[in-house]
Amino acid sequence: MKQVGIIGAGLTGAMHAERWTQLPVELAGFYVRTAERAQAAAQRYGGCAFSSLEALLAEVDVVDVCTPTSSHKELVLAAAAAGKDIICEKPLARRLGEAKEMIAACKAAGVRLLVGHVVRFFPEYARAKEILDSGRLGRPGVIRTVRGGNFPAPDAHNWYADFEQSGGVIMDMLIHDIDYVRWCFGDVATVFARGLTFSDVLDADHVLLTVRFQNGAIGHLEGSWAYPPGNFRTRLEIAGDEGLLEVDSLDTLPLSVTLKQEGTEMAAGVPVPESPMHPNDDPYYREIAHFLACLESGNDSLVSPQDGLEAVRIALAAIESLRTGGPVDVAAFDGE
Amino acid sequence: MNVKIGMLSYAHMHAYSYAACLKQIADASSVGVELVGIADDNPVRGQEAASQFDTRFFLSAETLLEQKLDGIIICAENARHRPLTEMAAPRTPHILCEKPIATTLADAQAMIDVCATHGTKLQIAFPVRFSPPVQQLKAILDEGTLGRIYSVKTTNHGRMPGGWFVDQALAGGGAVIDHSVHVIDLLRWFWNTEITEVYAEVGHSLLHPDLGIDDAGLLSFKLAIGAYGTLDTSWSRPESYPTWGDVRLEVLGERGIVRVDAFNQNLALYSDQTGKGQWVHWGSNPDLSLIQDFVDMIATGREPFITGYDGLKALEVALAAYRSAERGEPVSLPL
Repeated sequence: MKQVGIIGAGLTGAMHAERWTQLPVELAGFYVRTAERAQAAAQRYGGCAFSSLEALLAEVDVVDVCTPTSSHKELVLAAAAAGKDIICEKPLARRLGEAKEMIAACKAAGVRLLVGHVVRFFPEYARAKEILDSGRLGRPGVIRTVRGGNFPAPDAHNWYADFEQSGGVIMDMLIHDIDYVRWCFGDVATVFARGLTFSDVLDADHVLLTVRFQNGAIGHLEGSWAYPPGNFRTRLEIAGDEGLLEVDSLDTLPLSVTLKQEGTEMAAGVPVPESPMHPNDDPYYREIAHFLACLESGNDSLVSPQDGLEAVRIALAAIESLRTGGPVDVAAFDGE
Repeated sequence: MNVKIGMLSYAHMHAYSYAACLKQIADASSVGVELVGIADDNPVRGQEAASQFDTRFFLSAETLLEQKLDGIIICAENARHRPLTEMAAPRTPHILCEKPIATTLADAQAMIDVCATHGTKLQIAFPVRFSPPVQQLKAILDEGTLGRIYSVKTTNHGRMPGGWFVDQALAGGGAVIDHSVHVIDLLRWFWNTEITEVYAEVGHSLLHPDLGIDDAGLLSFKLAIGAYGTLDTSWSRPESYPTWGDVRLEVLGERGIVRVDAFNQNLALYSDQTGKGQWVHWGSNPDLSLIQDFVDMIATGREPFITGYDGLKALEVALAAYRSAERGEPVSLPL
């Protein structure tokens, strides 16, 4: 049985840990820079709290990197040098050069690099892709996505709101849909973005991204950290020349609970989409189980390292468009 | 007072709705309203419409305009709005012209000028201003409930209408000119503001093979109030879709978000006779309020609620979108 070590014990670390406990692996434990957080996670999900990265790497077969984006490179390089297979939460990296370096290092070390673009594993998004691929919509024309919630609430470990660490709403959240639309419609030719990232608004981030694909199709992606708390929403619409597909989290709630509120409190961290599912259909479970199957079989992952890199490239090009106020040619974009 | 209305051309299908609204107002209103007649260069279409709405058919527009009308409703192809307005302005004191006002800014300005010369009041048909959900949004914005406005994300989707709507010479463009102007007019009206910059991705024959004109469009723009926004004008609703399309507006501000789906008051109907699900609208009919407003303007002598200038400024944004798509860069307004 594979020994799995998780680096980080925040939102993603906890979600992954819970799914690892449902799979036939040994959860060896956690390494977190703040020792108490590793201990708390180990107590809850099992395994031990490693005192150092080296200690974790010495014990495990698989490293699951669930840390803030800006630390991915250093951790992935260390894991690759130790010869460990790697699962890396999205975005693959904060910078394009880092992503390239990580992919090269994993290749050189002969280890797997599996990028956590979990939206591909959400049942409604997976089903939509199947329908698109089946040809029932005809030729792809216009794709629209929405992913929006509240601004990440300040807490002791709030790194999402720090643009240098997270890359803001584009790099941290919209990248989910960037990867998804690229998976559906292929490579992106041009991006044009408008948003709040570089505005004087400090307690919200928001972007409206317009995309032209290389095949001539067009897309519109909204990423929001500007909604009031409790209003998380995802939406997908794909129009082809023979059909249209729509799914909206607000219209497809199979359950809703509304309680009187004693004043609205901000939830810590970033909001996470969820809809009641059988545990085997849970998107995070599907993602982790898929990664495990890839590691055991040696088969290609649904998300290639290059997919992870291209999503980072598009996200950075979108950020560049916000900065310059003009369209950005994605294929030619190699900036930071 | 008996308000005498004529209609010039049934090329645009809204003509049928406006005529039905005139009939409804005539039946219900204390103000007398009379649909005096219909002129159409397509005599079969015109005669059928005249018979449907129980009014006279006129072979020539000139003859209809000799009937001492109080107002005329122009629902011709976009490119014919100007010649018909120029013909009507000296003879009729009130004109309601279908959107977009024209296909070029020069035509739009000429229409405004000829009406000004003759003291004729020119109103543009932007019925969505009369949608109750949209009016409620306007009230919320007027109260300042959202605080500072960050962005406005909008869509005006529809089905591909075919016919002259896909003829560049008659329509002036496809989905972008057809569907930009409604929402752009709303945004100008909401905040008494202008669009200062437009970037657009326009798709030609993207959703309808060999259509030969734009059928998809994404506009990304800046407003003078400091907000940014987008508008999807695509004819992306297939025939199998349960309704014609949508007008959706999401206004994001520092205190929250307001979402409007203006035509969402529907019941879902599933009939084996149609072979698909259908949404049947039960919300208020904005066309009725538009026509009522036109009749009220005539009856009371007040100024138009929606002016020729409003029509011109909305058209300008659509034309800027085409220019941006050609150049691959943002275009500053005014043109």
